[in-house]
Amino acid sequence: MAIALGIDLGTTNSCAAVATPTGVEFILGQRAERVHPSVVAFPSSGGVVVGADAKRYRLTEPQHVIHSAKRFIGQNIRAPLVQLALTGIRYKVVEGPNQQPIVVVRDRRMTMPEISSHVLLHLKRNAERQLGASVTDAVITVPANFTDAQRTATKEAGRLAGLTVMRLINEPTAAALAYGFGRNQDQLICVFDFGGGTFDVSILRIKGEVFEVLASDGDFFLGGDDLDRALAEVLAAECNRVLGFDPRQHPVLMMKLMMGAEAIKCHLSDNDAAEGEIDGIDLPNGSTGSLPFALTRAQFEDLINGYVNRTIEVTKQVLAQARLSPKDISDVLCVGGSTRIPAVRNRLADVFRKQPNIGINPDEVVAQGAAIQAGSLSGSIIAGTGMGARDAVVTEAHSPLLHGGARAQGPLARPVLLDVNPSTLSIQTAGGYAEHLLDKNSPIPIERTRVFTTARDNQTRVEIDCCRGESRRYAENEPLGTLVLENLEAKRRGDLKIEVCFRVDADGILHVSAADPDSGARQEAALQVIGAPTQEGAAQ
Amino acid sequence: MSSTRAEVLLWAQRVIARRAGAAHAILDLKPDASVEDAQDAFHKIARIAHPDLHRNGLTPDELDAVTSAYGIAAGAYQTFRGQAMSTQRMKPLKAEDLAAAAAAGRAAPSGPTSSTPPSGVPVSAGANQQMSSRALVYYRKAEIALRRGDLKGAILQLKMAIATDPSSAFLRTALAEVETELRKGP
Repeated sequence: MAIALGIDLGTTNSCAAVATPTGVEFILGQRAERVHPSVVAFPSSGGVVVGADAKRYRLTEPQHVIHSAKRFIGQNIRAPLVQLALTGIRYKVVEGPNQQPIVVVRDRRMTMPEISSHVLLHLKRNAERQLGASVTDAVITVPANFTDAQRTATKEAGRLAGLTVMRLINEPTAAALAYGFGRNQDQLICVFDFGGGTFDVSILRIKGEVFEVLASDGDFFLGGDDLDRALAEVLAAECNRVLGFDPRQHPVLMMKLMMGAEAIKCHLSDNDAAEGEIDGIDLPNGSTGSLPFALTRAQFEDLINGYVNRTIEVTKQVLAQARLSPKDISDVLCVGGSTRIPAVRNRLADVFRKQPNIGINPDEVVAQGAAIQAGSLSGSIIAGTGMGARDAVVTEAHSPLLHGGARAQGPLARPVLLDVNPSTLSIQTAGGYAEHLLDKNSPIPIERTRVFTTARDNQTRVEIDCCRGESRRYAENEPLGTLVLENLEAKRRGDLKIEVCFRVDADGILHVSAADPDSGARQEAALQVIGAPTQEGAAQ
Repeated sequence: MSSTRAEVLLWAQRVIARRAGAAHAILDLKPDASVEDAQDAFHKIARIAHPDLHRNGLTPDELDAVTSAYGIAAGAYQTFRGQAMSTQRMKPLKAEDLAAAAAAGRAAPSGPTSSTPPSGVPVSAGANQQMSSRALVYYRKAEIALRRGDLKGAILQLKMAIATDPSSAFLRTALAEVETELRKGP
């Protein structure tokens, strides 16, 4: 029987789980940890080290430790936000083919999917050791606002790790599945997913076994990392003041301050003040100093207020997109480590006028949902003739989340996820306008065909420029690629019909085809999106 | 859950045959169906025909057909959702402003202001997503003119807005409505 793993591939941490007849089982690391740092180290001693063990090389050789690869996977390296994110890392990234970012460690060049595949392989190996069976299939979660290229690159990472990626599902949707599966209720929920690197918020309607996303939005460059960095900057300024030396030019020292900042942030979630000192700061004169710090929770909240405001703004926007008001929402799910910050929870409580649900583990719930979906999709569940085996997987899978005695009775239907397309997809029409073919927040999988015509007489070739974004002007959107239809019959303008079909599959990946229905010159192509991994890139 | 493989395939064929038809026909609904009706119909389809439920029971060609039919049904459902969204956005102009404008116009045909200020100042939520920010400035002026009962003034401002952002269907609809209102006139 094939085992299908549910994987939450995070920016800072990853988590994997599998649905078994006795419930969802988490994949443990060497020290029985459930959460695995998404860190890959290439130490001077040779080899590749992944997870908790890789983290300790951060202080000795930060330039060989690759973290936060998720921020760069499937990205165009020239994008301004990517350039900004690159200033926060200590390893070397250069531009590769198709404008994709390439990691350079010593003389090795690696694509971002290759880096992520090491994390996936680490989880796969741990799972195989723990379960005593080979793992071939997986459901991997991605941020709801992940683009086409980022999704394609994530699938590529799975393939490189030797996994068949059955499905990519959105992180907030996975959390909702773990929360609502087996409840058999009709309710509206908000999933607030504030993780290490990304922020997403989704509004879902759960009706029996149907999980329908009504609206979703987010900010790809907003996460716990940013809070750590803001705090590390304060510590750096303090270091300059107290020790008379600016650590910002020193990668190792800044890394140390980042780690200190992360610890202070976590401490302040449970305490009103943090006081202590960061030891082992190597000063230019050869001696080692220590940096004392004292910070109250209120001071920290002031520091991160701008970031928290942004998350609340997006939440309000998504509510408006779903045409709902806060009082319609019956439960607010906190997902991602950054939701442990009391200020975040308080602000959410202000918006929704109720305490957010903290009865779930924000670090594990996404992997749990992925495991349920993997169990549901894997052939073993359908192939079994008896209902028993099939229900055992799904009924038990949710049990840790069911509060009280609401255990479902009788056979449970398999969950049906109705996820959405994260941004409007359009083509360029005469005059530089963007004609919307698929709206933001459309249910996926979806297929839409529209008929266009030529703008000039005797035109035998049309170029179909595709883009994503909400603007009515093509130039203000993000270009995705161009599809060319050639050898058309020469006709007067307006007489020729061109059918353009946009199809977004269940993984959220766009496929575009165009055809001339009269001559039957069907031309079809999956777009090669800028920034997406290419074969040449993978070969390097 | 009692749907058989044959029923699902038959449904898929029917949807694919109707693919160029109206959204309500694809979802087996009446022409005047509401967005709630469409949601119920689509959930029913999802529970029976979602491609995930048929990963192992169908041949690749059959699964392609079901996936395509499901995608077409999703497109039809989105048409309903999109319409609900745009009527919502139209509401401030349509329901309240026009009524207020008409009332103001009748009450004081030549007077510059109506005696009672319009209650519940409409905030055109979503209007800013329908047009460029330059056009929005004119649109807001059109709203103010409407509230005064100045239909001609509103038309002028809407035409200015359309000149700034000719691609906005929202603005064109708004203009058509105000023009109709003016023709009906007192």
